[in-house]
Amino acid sequence: MSALSKEMMTSALCDFREGLSNWRIWWLLGIGDIRQRYARSRLGQFWITLSMATFVCAIGSVFALLFDQPIRQFLPYVAANFVVWTLISGLVTDSCTTFIQADTYLRQEPLPKTVFAMRIIVRNLVTFAHNIIIIPIVFIVMGQWPSGTWLLAPFGLMLVLLAGFFTALLLGVLCARFRDLPQIVQNLVQVVFFITPIVWPADIVRGRAGFIVDFNPFAAFLQTVSEPLLGNYPPLSAYLMACGTTVILAAISIPLFARFRARIVYWL
Amino acid sequence: MPAIELRDATVEFSIYNSRSRSIRNDLLRRVGGRIGTEDRDRVTVQALRDVNLRLESGDRVGLIGHNGAGKTTLLRVLSGAYEPSSGAAVIDGRVSSLLDLAMGMDHELTGRQNIVLRGVFLGLTFRQARSLVPEIAEFSELGSYLDVPMRTYSSGMTLRLAFGVSTAVQPDIILLDEMISVGDTAFAEKAKQRIDLLFDRAHILVLASHSMDAVRQYCNRAVLLREGRIVADGPVDDVLREL
Repeated sequence: MSALSKEMMTSALCDFREGLSNWRIWWLLGIGDIRQRYARSRLGQFWITLSMATFVCAIGSVFALLFDQPIRQFLPYVAANFVVWTLISGLVTDSCTTFIQADTYLRQEPLPKTVFAMRIIVRNLVTFAHNIIIIPIVFIVMGQWPSGTWLLAPFGLMLVLLAGFFTALLLGVLCARFRDLPQIVQNLVQVVFFITPIVWPADIVRGRAGFIVDFNPFAAFLQTVSEPLLGNYPPLSAYLMACGTTVILAAISIPLFARFRARIVYWL
Repeated sequence: MPAIELRDATVEFSIYNSRSRSIRNDLLRRVGGRIGTEDRDRVTVQALRDVNLRLESGDRVGLIGHNGAGKTTLLRVLSGAYEPSSGAAVIDGRVSSLLDLAMGMDHELTGRQNIVLRGVFLGLTFRQARSLVPEIAEFSELGSYLDVPMRTYSSGMTLRLAFGVSTAVQPDIILLDEMISVGDTAFAEKAKQRIDLLFDRAHILVLASHSMDAVRQYCNRAVLLREGRIVADGPVDDVLREL
Protein backbone atom coordinates (compact mmCIF):
# COMPACT_ATOMS: atom_id res chain seq x y z
CA MET A 1 0.00 0.00 0.00
CA SER A 2 1.71 3.12 -1.19
CA ALA A 3 1.64 6.34 0.70
CA LEU A 4 -0.41 9.43 0.23
CA SER A 5 1.27 11.56 -2.40
CA LYS A 6 1.07 15.25 -3.02
CA GLU A 7 -0.72 14.72 -6.34
CA MET A 8 -3.39 12.69 -4.58
CA MET A 9 -4.00 15.54 -2.16
CA THR A 10 -4.16 18.04 -5.02
CA SER A 11 -6.69 16.00 -6.97
CA ALA A 12 -8.75 15.47 -3.81
CA LEU A 13 -8.89 19.22 -3.23
CA CYS A 14 -9.80 19.68 -6.87
CA ASP A 15 -12.58 17.12 -6.35
CA PHE A 16 -13.87 19.15 -3.37
CA ARG A 17 -13.86 22.37 -5.36
CA GLU A 18 -15.56 20.93 -8.42
CA GLY A 19 -17.95 18.86 -6.34
CA LEU A 20 -19.19 21.86 -4.44
CA SER A 21 -19.49 24.01 -7.55
CA ASN A 22 -21.59 21.34 -9.27
CA TRP A 23 -24.36 22.09 -6.78
CA ARG A 24 -27.10 21.57 -9.34
CA ILE A 25 -26.28 17.87 -9.61
CA TRP A 26 -26.31 17.11 -5.90
CA TRP A 27 -29.32 19.27 -5.33
CA LEU A 28 -31.37 17.41 -7.95
CA LEU A 29 -30.09 14.00 -6.84
CA GLY A 30 -30.85 14.75 -3.18
CA ILE A 31 -34.40 15.91 -3.71
CA GLY A 32 -34.89 13.15 -6.30
CA ASP A 33 -34.10 10.58 -3.59
CA ILE A 34 -36.88 11.95 -1.39
CA ARG A 35 -39.30 12.16 -4.29
CA GLN A 36 -38.61 8.57 -5.31
CA ARG A 37 -39.15 7.26 -1.81
CA TYR A 38 -42.63 8.78 -1.58
CA ALA A 39 -43.58 8.64 -5.24
CA ARG A 40 -47.23 7.99 -6.01
CA SER A 41 -48.39 8.20 -2.41
CA ARG A 42 -51.12 10.72 -1.76
CA LEU A 43 -49.41 12.50 1.10
CA GLY A 44 -46.06 12.22 -0.63
CA GLN A 45 -43.09 13.42 1.38
CA PHE A 46 -45.38 14.60 4.18
CA TRP A 47 -45.37 11.00 5.31
CA ILE A 48 -42.01 11.97 6.79
CA THR A 49 -43.71 14.55 8.99
CA LEU A 50 -46.61 12.32 9.83
CA SER A 51 -44.57 9.30 10.89
CA MET A 52 -42.35 11.53 12.98
CA ALA A 53 -45.41 13.08 14.68
CA THR A 54 -46.83 9.63 15.44
CA PHE A 55 -43.59 8.40 16.92
CA VAL A 56 -43.01 11.50 19.02
CA CYS A 57 -46.54 11.43 20.46
CA ALA A 58 -46.41 7.71 21.27
CA ILE A 59 -42.91 7.62 22.76
CA GLY A 60 -43.36 11.01 24.42
CA SER A 61 -46.48 10.02 26.31
CA VAL A 62 -45.32 6.52 27.29
CA PHE A 63 -41.87 7.61 28.44
CA ALA A 64 -43.31 10.58 30.32
CA LEU A 65 -45.21 8.01 32.38
CA LEU A 66 -42.22 5.67 32.71
CA PHE A 67 -39.83 8.36 33.88
CA ASP A 68 -42.52 10.19 35.81
CA GLN A 69 -42.03 13.43 33.88
CA PRO A 70 -44.55 16.24 33.34
CA ILE A 71 -45.82 15.72 29.79
CA ARG A 72 -45.98 19.44 29.03
CA GLN A 73 -42.20 19.64 29.19
CA PHE A 74 -41.38 16.10 28.21
CA LEU A 75 -43.21 15.94 24.90
CA PRO A 76 -41.41 19.03 23.51
CA TYR A 77 -38.16 17.52 24.83
CA VAL A 78 -38.69 14.25 22.96
CA ALA A 79 -39.90 16.08 19.84
CA ALA A 80 -36.82 18.32 19.59
CA ASN A 81 -34.42 15.50 20.42
CA PHE A 82 -35.91 12.94 18.12
CA VAL A 83 -36.11 15.30 15.15
CA VAL A 84 -32.43 16.15 15.53
CA TRP A 85 -31.49 12.53 16.20
CA THR A 86 -33.24 11.47 12.98
CA LEU A 87 -31.02 13.91 11.10
CA ILE A 88 -27.84 12.63 12.78
CA SER A 89 -28.65 8.94 12.41
CA GLY A 90 -29.82 9.46 8.83
CA LEU A 91 -26.53 11.12 7.95
CA VAL A 92 -24.54 8.27 9.49
CA THR A 93 -26.47 5.37 7.95
CA ASP A 94 -26.77 7.04 4.52
CA SER A 95 -23.03 7.70 4.57
CA CYS A 96 -22.45 3.98 4.12
CA THR A 97 -23.97 4.04 0.64
CA THR A 98 -22.44 7.34 -0.54
CA PHE A 99 -20.47 5.67 -3.33
CA ILE A 100 -22.06 2.20 -3.46
CA GLN A 101 -25.30 3.83 -4.53
CA ALA A 102 -23.58 6.00 -7.12
CA ASP A 103 -22.01 3.14 -9.08
CA THR A 104 -23.81 3.78 -12.36
CA TYR A 105 -22.61 7.40 -12.39
CA LEU A 106 -19.11 6.72 -11.21
CA ARG A 107 -18.46 3.97 -13.73
CA GLN A 108 -19.42 6.11 -16.68
CA GLU A 109 -18.54 9.72 -15.92
CA PRO A 110 -15.55 11.39 -14.29
CA LEU A 111 -17.84 13.24 -11.87
CA PRO A 112 -16.31 14.73 -8.73
CA LYS A 113 -16.92 12.22 -5.96
CA THR A 114 -17.73 14.94 -3.43
CA VAL A 115 -20.99 15.42 -5.33
CA PHE A 116 -22.29 12.20 -3.81
CA ALA A 117 -21.36 13.20 -0.27
CA MET A 118 -23.29 16.42 -0.75
CA ARG A 119 -26.23 14.44 -2.06
CA ILE A 120 -26.42 12.69 1.32
CA ILE A 121 -26.44 16.07 3.06
CA VAL A 122 -29.23 17.42 0.85
CA ARG A 123 -31.34 14.28 1.22
CA ASN A 124 -31.16 14.40 5.02
CA LEU A 125 -31.61 18.14 5.20
CA VAL A 126 -34.82 17.88 3.18
CA THR A 127 -36.11 15.22 5.58
CA PHE A 128 -35.11 17.42 8.50
CA ALA A 129 -37.02 20.35 7.00
CA HIS A 130 -40.14 18.20 6.93
CA ASN A 131 -39.66 17.01 10.50
CA ILE A 132 -38.91 20.38 12.03
CA ILE A 133 -42.51 21.44 11.28
CA ILE A 134 -43.80 19.39 14.20
CA ILE A 135 -41.65 21.19 16.78
CA PRO A 136 -43.60 24.49 16.81
CA ILE A 137 -46.84 22.49 16.72
CA VAL A 138 -45.88 20.43 19.77
CA PHE A 139 -44.71 23.59 21.54
CA ILE A 140 -47.97 25.41 20.91
CA VAL A 141 -50.15 22.44 21.86
CA MET A 142 -48.18 21.97 25.09
CA GLY A 143 -48.34 25.68 25.84
CA GLN A 144 -44.57 26.22 25.67
CA TRP A 145 -43.22 29.37 24.07
CA PRO A 146 -40.00 29.58 22.13
CA SER A 147 -37.18 31.57 23.63
CA GLY A 148 -34.41 33.58 21.98
CA THR A 149 -31.98 30.71 22.40
CA TRP A 150 -33.24 29.05 19.24
CA LEU A 151 -31.06 31.51 17.35
CA LEU A 152 -28.17 29.24 18.39
CA ALA A 153 -29.71 26.20 16.70
CA PRO A 154 -28.54 27.02 13.13
CA PHE A 155 -24.96 27.09 14.39
CA GLY A 156 -25.35 23.61 15.86
CA LEU A 157 -26.98 22.49 12.65
CA MET A 158 -23.97 23.70 10.66
CA LEU A 159 -21.71 21.61 12.90
CA VAL A 160 -23.88 18.53 12.38
CA LEU A 161 -23.88 18.98 8.61
CA LEU A 162 -20.14 19.60 8.44
CA ALA A 163 -19.46 16.49 10.49
CA GLY A 164 -21.99 14.67 8.30
CA PHE A 165 -20.07 15.65 5.17
CA PHE A 166 -16.82 14.20 6.51
CA THR A 167 -18.66 11.10 7.73
CA ALA A 168 -20.10 10.62 4.24
CA LEU A 169 -16.57 10.65 2.80
CA LEU A 170 -15.14 8.44 5.53
CA LEU A 171 -17.85 5.79 5.70
CA GLY A 172 -18.48 6.13 1.97
CA VAL A 173 -14.93 5.02 1.16
CA LEU A 174 -14.70 2.36 3.87
CA CYS A 175 -18.09 0.83 3.14
CA ALA A 176 -17.38 0.63 -0.59
CA ARG A 177 -14.36 -1.51 0.25
CA PHE A 178 -15.68 -3.47 3.25
CA ARG A 179 -19.22 -4.55 2.56
CA ASP A 180 -19.87 -5.77 6.10
CA LEU A 181 -19.40 -2.30 7.46
CA PRO A 182 -22.88 -0.95 6.57
CA GLN A 183 -24.45 -3.67 8.75
CA ILE A 184 -22.07 -2.92 11.60
CA VAL A 185 -22.80 0.81 11.37
CA GLN A 186 -26.54 0.20 11.34
CA ASN A 187 -26.32 -1.86 14.49
CA LEU A 188 -24.14 0.68 16.24
CA VAL A 189 -26.53 3.50 15.39
CA GLN A 190 -29.35 1.52 16.98
CA VAL A 191 -27.30 1.04 20.13
CA VAL A 192 -26.35 4.71 20.20
CA PHE A 193 -30.03 5.62 20.10
CA PHE A 194 -30.51 3.91 23.45
CA ILE A 195 -27.39 5.19 25.18
CA THR A 196 -27.95 8.81 24.12
CA PRO A 197 -30.42 10.97 26.04
CA ILE A 198 -33.00 11.28 23.29
CA VAL A 199 -36.16 9.75 24.71
CA TRP A 200 -34.97 9.78 28.31
CA PRO A 201 -33.92 12.79 30.37
CA ALA A 202 -30.15 13.21 30.74
CA ASP A 203 -30.54 13.93 34.46
CA ILE A 204 -31.54 10.40 35.37
CA VAL A 205 -28.02 9.07 34.77
CA ARG A 206 -26.27 11.92 36.57
CA GLY A 207 -24.12 10.64 39.41
CA ARG A 208 -24.48 7.03 38.30
CA ALA A 209 -23.42 6.83 34.69
CA GLY A 210 -22.99 10.44 33.66
CA PHE A 211 -20.09 9.49 31.40
CA ILE A 212 -22.43 8.01 28.78
CA VAL A 213 -23.74 11.51 28.27
CA ASP A 214 -20.57 13.51 28.88
CA PHE A 215 -18.29 11.46 26.63
CA ASN A 216 -20.84 10.76 23.94
CA PRO A 217 -20.17 12.80 20.80
CA PHE A 218 -23.66 12.00 19.52
CA ALA A 219 -25.13 13.57 22.66
CA ALA A 220 -22.92 16.62 22.11
CA PHE A 221 -24.09 17.14 18.52
CA LEU A 222 -27.67 16.54 19.63
CA GLN A 223 -27.44 19.15 22.38
CA THR A 224 -26.01 21.85 20.12
CA VAL A 225 -29.21 21.78 18.08
CA SER A 226 -31.99 20.57 20.37
CA GLU A 227 -31.14 22.48 23.56
CA PRO A 228 -31.49 25.92 21.89
CA LEU A 229 -34.85 24.80 20.47
CA LEU A 230 -35.95 23.90 24.00
CA GLY A 231 -35.00 27.30 25.36
CA ASN A 232 -31.69 26.30 26.97
CA TYR A 233 -28.11 27.21 26.26
CA PRO A 234 -26.13 24.11 25.28
CA PRO A 235 -23.23 23.51 27.69
CA LEU A 236 -19.85 24.71 26.48
CA SER A 237 -18.57 21.15 26.78
CA ALA A 238 -21.07 20.08 24.11
CA TYR A 239 -19.72 22.66 21.68
CA LEU A 240 -16.15 21.66 22.45
CA MET A 241 -16.85 17.99 21.92
CA ALA A 242 -18.84 18.60 18.71
CA CYS A 243 -16.13 20.84 17.26
CA GLY A 244 -13.41 18.41 18.37
CA THR A 245 -15.21 15.46 16.78
CA THR A 246 -15.66 17.41 13.54
CA VAL A 247 -11.94 18.23 13.44
CA ILE A 248 -11.02 14.59 14.06
CA LEU A 249 -13.42 13.41 11.36
CA ALA A 250 -11.89 15.90 8.92
CA ALA A 251 -8.37 14.86 9.87
CA ILE A 252 -9.16 11.20 9.15
CA SER A 253 -11.54 11.47 6.23
CA ILE A 254 -9.66 13.95 4.04
CA PRO A 255 -6.39 11.96 3.82
CA LEU A 256 -8.31 8.69 3.47
CA PHE A 257 -10.44 10.13 0.68
CA ALA A 258 -7.37 11.59 -1.04
CA ARG A 259 -5.55 8.26 -0.87
CA PHE A 260 -8.38 6.06 -2.15
CA ARG A 261 -10.46 8.49 -4.24
CA ALA A 262 -9.29 6.96 -7.53
CA ARG A 263 -9.74 3.40 -6.23
CA ILE A 264 -13.37 3.75 -5.17
CA VAL A 265 -14.70 3.04 -8.64
CA TYR A 266 -12.71 -0.22 -8.78
CA TRP A 267 -14.50 -1.46 -5.68
CA LEU A 268 -18.03 -0.85 -6.95
CA MET B 1 -7.10 20.72 -29.72
CA PRO B 2 -8.79 17.84 -27.93
CA ALA B 3 -6.52 14.85 -27.39
CA ILE B 4 -6.12 11.85 -25.14
CA GLU B 5 -2.87 10.31 -24.13
CA LEU B 6 -2.39 7.12 -22.18
CA ARG B 7 1.08 6.30 -20.93
CA ASP B 8 1.71 2.80 -19.61
CA ALA B 9 -1.84 2.78 -18.34
CA THR B 10 -2.65 -0.32 -16.32
CA VAL B 11 -5.99 -1.12 -14.77
CA GLU B 12 -5.78 -3.74 -12.09
CA PHE B 13 -8.83 -4.93 -10.21
CA SER B 14 -8.61 -6.79 -6.97
CA ILE B 15 -11.42 -9.26 -6.78
CA TYR B 16 -12.07 -9.84 -3.14
CA ASN B 17 -14.09 -12.94 -2.62
CA SER B 18 -16.70 -12.91 0.07
CA ARG B 19 -14.25 -14.25 2.61
CA SER B 20 -11.56 -11.67 2.25
CA ARG B 21 -13.88 -8.79 1.48
CA SER B 22 -14.81 -8.19 5.06
CA ILE B 23 -13.31 -6.53 8.05
CA ARG B 24 -13.36 -9.79 9.93
CA ASN B 25 -10.89 -11.33 7.56
CA ASP B 26 -8.81 -8.24 7.24
CA LEU B 27 -8.47 -8.15 10.99
CA LEU B 28 -7.86 -11.87 11.25
CA ARG B 29 -5.30 -11.73 8.50
CA ARG B 30 -3.32 -9.05 10.25
CA VAL B 31 -3.82 -9.93 13.84
CA GLY B 32 -4.04 -13.67 13.59
CA GLY B 33 -0.84 -14.18 11.67
CA ARG B 34 -0.17 -16.15 8.56
CA ILE B 35 -2.81 -18.54 7.45
CA GLY B 36 -1.63 -19.60 4.05
CA THR B 37 -0.21 -16.94 1.81
CA GLU B 38 -1.36 -13.42 2.24
CA ASP B 39 -2.98 -13.20 -1.15
CA ARG B 40 -4.77 -16.51 -0.97
CA ASP B 41 -8.20 -14.96 -1.13
CA ARG B 42 -7.29 -12.16 -3.41
CA VAL B 43 -7.34 -12.49 -7.14
CA THR B 44 -6.03 -9.65 -9.20
CA VAL B 45 -7.32 -9.12 -12.66
CA GLN B 46 -5.35 -6.98 -15.00
CA ALA B 47 -7.98 -5.57 -17.30
CA LEU B 48 -5.48 -3.36 -19.10
CA ARG B 49 -1.73 -3.73 -19.20
CA ASP B 50 0.76 -1.01 -20.11
CA VAL B 51 -1.43 0.65 -22.67
CA ASN B 52 0.20 3.43 -24.65
CA LEU B 53 -2.18 5.28 -26.86
CA ARG B 54 -2.36 8.74 -28.28
CA LEU B 55 -5.59 9.97 -29.82
CA GLU B 56 -5.63 13.23 -31.72
CA SER B 57 -8.14 15.36 -33.47
CA GLY B 58 -9.39 13.61 -36.59
CA ASP B 59 -8.93 10.11 -35.17
CA ARG B 60 -11.85 7.76 -35.70
CA VAL B 61 -10.77 4.72 -33.76
CA GLY B 62 -12.34 1.30 -33.94
CA LEU B 63 -11.62 -0.71 -30.81
CA ILE B 64 -11.70 -4.40 -31.55
CA GLY B 65 -10.98 -7.60 -29.68
CA HIS B 66 -12.70 -10.60 -28.19
CA ASN B 67 -15.00 -10.50 -25.19
CA GLY B 68 -12.99 -9.64 -22.12
CA ALA B 69 -10.11 -8.18 -24.14
CA GLY B 70 -10.49 -4.89 -22.25
CA LYS B 71 -12.50 -2.77 -24.69
CA THR B 72 -15.04 -1.45 -22.20
CA THR B 73 -12.39 -0.91 -19.55
CA LEU B 74 -10.36 1.07 -22.04
CA LEU B 75 -13.41 3.18 -22.88
CA ARG B 76 -13.91 3.90 -19.19
CA VAL B 77 -10.30 4.96 -18.85
CA LEU B 78 -10.67 7.21 -21.88
CA SER B 79 -13.77 8.78 -20.32
CA GLY B 80 -11.87 9.54 -17.12
CA ALA B 81 -14.19 7.43 -14.96
CA TYR B 82 -11.41 4.94 -14.24
CA GLU B 83 -8.12 6.46 -13.27
CA PRO B 84 -5.39 3.95 -14.19
CA SER B 85 -4.01 2.08 -11.19
CA SER B 86 -0.56 2.76 -12.60
CA GLY B 87 0.56 4.90 -15.49
CA ALA B 88 -1.18 8.05 -16.61
CA ALA B 89 -4.18 9.18 -18.60
CA VAL B 90 -4.34 12.76 -19.80
CA ILE B 91 -7.70 13.70 -21.24
CA ASP B 92 -8.12 17.03 -22.91
CA GLY B 93 -11.56 17.96 -24.22
CA ARG B 94 -15.18 17.42 -23.43
CA VAL B 95 -15.88 13.69 -23.45
CA SER B 96 -19.26 12.13 -23.95
CA SER B 97 -19.52 8.45 -23.22
CA LEU B 98 -22.53 6.88 -24.80
CA LEU B 99 -21.97 3.66 -22.89
CA ASP B 100 -25.19 3.84 -20.91
CA LEU B 101 -27.61 6.18 -22.64
CA ALA B 102 -30.12 6.20 -19.78
CA MET B 103 -27.58 6.99 -17.07
CA GLY B 104 -29.07 8.96 -14.20
CA MET B 105 -32.59 9.08 -15.58
CA ASP B 106 -35.27 8.94 -12.94
CA HIS B 107 -38.40 6.97 -13.73
CA GLU B 108 -40.56 9.01 -11.42
CA LEU B 109 -39.70 12.24 -13.20
CA THR B 110 -41.37 13.41 -16.39
CA GLY B 111 -39.50 13.36 -19.66
CA ARG B 112 -39.04 17.10 -19.44
CA GLN B 113 -37.57 16.93 -15.93
CA ASN B 114 -35.26 14.14 -17.02
CA ILE B 115 -33.92 16.30 -19.82
CA VAL B 116 -33.08 18.99 -17.27
CA LEU B 117 -31.50 16.41 -14.95
CA ARG B 118 -29.26 15.07 -17.68
CA GLY B 119 -28.44 18.56 -18.87
CA VAL B 120 -27.22 19.41 -15.39
CA PHE B 121 -24.94 16.36 -15.49
CA LEU B 122 -23.40 17.84 -18.61
CA GLY B 123 -22.55 20.93 -16.59
CA LEU B 124 -25.35 23.13 -17.90
CA THR B 125 -27.30 25.62 -15.81
CA PHE B 126 -31.01 24.96 -15.24
CA ARG B 127 -31.88 27.56 -17.87
CA GLN B 128 -29.49 26.10 -20.45
CA ALA B 129 -30.78 22.62 -19.70
CA ARG B 130 -34.38 23.71 -20.16
CA SER B 131 -33.50 25.25 -23.50
CA LEU B 132 -32.64 21.75 -24.77
CA VAL B 133 -36.22 20.60 -24.32
CA PRO B 134 -37.87 21.84 -27.57
CA GLU B 135 -35.21 20.29 -29.80
CA ILE B 136 -35.28 16.94 -27.97
CA ALA B 137 -39.07 16.98 -27.93
CA GLU B 138 -39.15 17.40 -31.66
CA PHE B 139 -36.52 14.77 -32.29
CA SER B 140 -37.95 12.12 -29.95
CA GLU B 141 -41.54 12.67 -31.17
CA LEU B 142 -42.79 12.07 -27.63
CA GLY B 143 -45.28 14.93 -27.75
CA SER B 144 -47.42 15.17 -24.64
CA TYR B 145 -45.69 12.13 -23.14
CA LEU B 146 -42.90 14.53 -22.24
CA ASP B 147 -45.07 15.75 -19.37
CA VAL B 148 -45.86 12.38 -17.78
CA PRO B 149 -43.53 10.29 -15.59
CA MET B 150 -41.02 8.20 -17.49
CA ARG B 151 -42.24 5.00 -15.84
CA THR B 152 -45.28 5.13 -18.13
CA TYR B 153 -43.05 5.00 -21.21
CA SER B 154 -42.59 1.91 -23.32
CA SER B 155 -38.98 0.75 -23.56
CA GLY B 156 -38.78 2.16 -27.07
CA MET B 157 -39.97 5.55 -25.86
CA THR B 158 -37.48 5.54 -23.01
CA LEU B 159 -34.73 4.77 -25.48
CA ARG B 160 -35.83 7.59 -27.80
CA LEU B 161 -35.66 10.05 -24.95
CA ALA B 162 -32.36 8.69 -23.61
CA PHE B 163 -30.83 8.80 -27.07
CA GLY B 164 -32.20 12.30 -27.68
CA VAL B 165 -30.71 13.66 -24.44
CA SER B 166 -27.42 11.85 -24.79
CA THR B 167 -26.85 13.34 -28.23
CA ALA B 168 -28.22 16.83 -27.60
CA VAL B 169 -24.92 18.50 -26.78
CA GLN B 170 -21.97 18.27 -29.13
CA PRO B 171 -18.89 16.81 -27.39
CA ASP B 172 -15.26 16.94 -28.54
CA ILE B 173 -14.69 13.27 -27.92
CA ILE B 174 -17.27 10.51 -28.33
CA LEU B 175 -16.92 7.07 -26.76
CA LEU B 176 -19.25 4.36 -27.89
CA ASP B 177 -19.69 0.71 -27.01
CA GLU B 178 -21.23 -0.84 -30.14
CA MET B 179 -23.24 1.23 -32.58
CA ILE B 180 -26.52 2.42 -31.20
CA SER B 181 -29.71 1.29 -32.83
CA VAL B 182 -32.97 2.75 -31.64
CA GLY B 183 -36.58 2.31 -32.44
CA ASP B 184 -38.60 1.42 -35.48
CA THR B 185 -37.34 1.77 -39.04
CA ALA B 186 -38.34 5.38 -39.54
CA PHE B 187 -36.86 6.49 -36.25
CA ALA B 188 -33.71 4.42 -36.69
CA GLU B 189 -33.00 6.35 -39.91
CA LYS B 190 -33.52 9.65 -38.08
CA ALA B 191 -31.28 8.52 -35.24
CA LYS B 192 -28.60 7.48 -37.68
CA GLN B 193 -28.61 10.92 -39.29
CA ARG B 194 -28.33 12.54 -35.89
CA ILE B 195 -25.45 10.38 -34.80
CA ASP B 196 -23.63 10.79 -38.12
CA LEU B 197 -23.80 14.54 -37.66
CA LEU B 198 -22.55 14.21 -34.09
CA PHE B 199 -19.65 12.03 -35.31
CA ASP B 200 -18.74 14.46 -38.07
CA ARG B 201 -18.51 17.38 -35.68
CA ALA B 202 -16.58 15.52 -33.00
CA HIS B 203 -12.79 15.70 -32.95
CA ILE B 204 -12.27 12.17 -31.76
CA LEU B 205 -14.46 9.09 -31.99
CA VAL B 206 -13.76 5.79 -30.30
CA LEU B 207 -16.08 2.95 -31.22
CA ALA B 208 -15.70 -0.42 -29.55
CA SER B 209 -17.36 -2.98 -31.74
CA HIS B 210 -17.58 -6.58 -32.80
CA SER B 211 -19.00 -5.49 -36.11
CA MET B 212 -16.19 -5.15 -38.63
CA ASP B 213 -18.59 -3.44 -41.01
CA ALA B 214 -19.28 -0.70 -38.49
CA VAL B 215 -15.56 -0.25 -37.88
CA ARG B 216 -14.86 -0.05 -41.63
CA GLN B 217 -17.70 2.41 -42.09
CA TYR B 218 -16.92 4.85 -39.29
CA CYS B 219 -13.25 4.50 -38.50
CA ASN B 220 -9.94 5.45 -40.03
CA ARG B 221 -7.84 3.72 -37.41
CA ALA B 222 -8.22 0.48 -35.54
CA VAL B 223 -6.80 -0.74 -32.26
CA LEU B 224 -6.77 -4.44 -31.52
CA LEU B 225 -6.82 -5.50 -27.88
CA ARG B 226 -5.91 -8.92 -26.62
CA GLU B 227 -5.88 -9.77 -22.91
CA GLY B 228 -5.66 -6.13 -21.94
CA ARG B 229 -2.78 -5.24 -24.24
CA ILE B 230 -2.75 -3.38 -27.51
CA VAL B 231 -1.45 -5.87 -30.07
CA ALA B 232 -2.07 -3.85 -33.20
CA ASP B 233 -2.72 -0.21 -33.97
CA GLY B 234 -2.96 1.35 -37.40
CA PRO B 235 -5.11 1.72 -40.51
CA VAL B 236 -8.32 -0.30 -40.30
CA ASP B 237 -7.59 -2.81 -43.04
CA ASP B 238 -4.10 -3.60 -41.74
CA VAL B 239 -5.36 -4.25 -38.24
CA LEU B 240 -8.34 -6.31 -39.36
CA ARG B 241 -5.91 -8.60 -41.16
CA GLU B 242 -4.28 -9.37 -37.80
CA LEU B 243 -7.48 -10.80 -36.40
